[in-house]
Amino acid sequence: MAMEGIFTGIAASMRELLAGAPPWLENLSMGFLYLVGVLAFIFLNALYLIYLERKISAYMQQRIGPNRLGPHGLLQSVADAVKLLGKEDIIPRGADKWVFLIAPILIFIPATMLYAVIPFGKGMIAADLNIGVFYFLAVASTTTIAILMGGWSSNNKYTLLGSMRSVAQMVSYEIPLTFSVLGVVMLAGSLQTSQIVMAQEKVWYVLLQPVAFIIFFIAATAEVNRAPFDLVEGEQELIAGPYTEYTGMRFALFYSSEYANLVSVSALAVTLFLGGWHGPWLPSWLWFVIKLYIMIFIFMWVRWTFPRIRIDHLLSFNWKVLLPLSLANILVTGVGIKIYQLLTLGRW
Amino acid sequence: MFGKGLLKGLSITWHNCFGKAVTEQYPERKPNLPPSSHGCLFLEKDKCIACGLCSKACPNNVITIESERGEDKKRKLTGYRVKLGQCLFCGLCVESCPKDALHWRPDFEHACYRHEDTEHDLFAGSEAEVRKGA
Repeated sequence: MAMEGIFTGIAASMRELLAGAPPWLENLSMGFLYLVGVLAFIFLNALYLIYLERKISAYMQQRIGPNRLGPHGLLQSVADAVKLLGKEDIIPRGADKWVFLIAPILIFIPATMLYAVIPFGKGMIAADLNIGVFYFLAVASTTTIAILMGGWSSNNKYTLLGSMRSVAQMVSYEIPLTFSVLGVVMLAGSLQTSQIVMAQEKVWYVLLQPVAFIIFFIAATAEVNRAPFDLVEGEQELIAGPYTEYTGMRFALFYSSEYANLVSVSALAVTLFLGGWHGPWLPSWLWFVIKLYIMIFIFMWVRWTFPRIRIDHLLSFNWKVLLPLSLANILVTGVGIKIYQLLTLGRW
Repeated sequence: MFGKGLLKGLSITWHNCFGKAVTEQYPERKPNLPPSSHGCLFLEKDKCIACGLCSKACPNNVITIESERGEDKKRKLTGYRVKLGQCLFCGLCVESCPKDALHWRPDFEHACYRHEDTEHDLFAGSEAEVRKGA
């Protein structure tokens, strides 16, 4: 299939071009190529997910949504980005200037780094680490720091409250998120994302681990600060949470990093539970994108259906429901694996 | 069953998502307003006796009436201007008219580029408005 090898072909020809070069140069330029690919993927997705979000929210509220700019309003987010670029860059007088300036740039570093271990298709993985899932969860948790930096340095009570909430929420929900992933890791016997995808060739883990998938979905919704867990920036209480004092392109960076994180958790869900790039007829990367967008649609569907929950309910739901449930899931998975081994191999 | 409400909510939004939009698609499709909507004033010049009650009833003094006495000593209307820019669309002028000469019309698109254009000349009638619209 010609379509299958488009992206791997680009990488292979780049390698061929650098055949005689010293290895550090080859590694550096291949890393650069991966970075460019990932950044293009993130920004195109972020731009059009904003449009998709507005369209889906409109359809769910029986409206039509943006339809003025370009066919079906397709150029709307481009126009919004251009408008934000032209806005005045305001730094509040009482702000901690350097932290304030660095935070929106810093938030993009983990968002970009996450994509290193996502297998976009057959052989399309930037860095096939043997601790891929662990790397993903570890890097994802550092997003909190950038949000806290933005909220603290703005010197505003709303931003401070929002960022404190984000720390409480993200640190709490990381635990059931990690535990729900553990079930999949136990089944696959590996932390390497490519191995986990290979192990799902016959049956997707969403069928073997339905409870883990639901826990993962709920915890991921909270991790990326989306409704019904968007307390971090609940506009009725906190204006825009940690982003209140940001204007123009700095605000746009925060805003698009939310969508970059949405794509990355959806990509992780596809990799761990929905069989990654496996699928018949179509090229593997196309299958990955289709599953990714189904996952993103479900996230948006949930966002535009449920109202926001209260902060104490949010935390008690995490500690009293999700955490015991994910621990029980690990126990049942472990026992199940042992019973399966006993039945098939005749020994523990 | 626990979570039944959640599923019900999801099914409602799912059906909405593929249903028809209920909002009015305004610039493409004009709204069908009731005939008495407070959109625009309309004067029947033949009925008007230039008594000036409408301009007195107006809380913002937006109506200016010009009139002259004819040979039979009766008032005759020579000018009727409404500054729509300051109009509240309260309708007190329409209610005060003793001859039922002043009416509402549902035309509501009054947006214009210059401040002078917000003043409508009801005496010159529809010809002037058509010219402005074109």
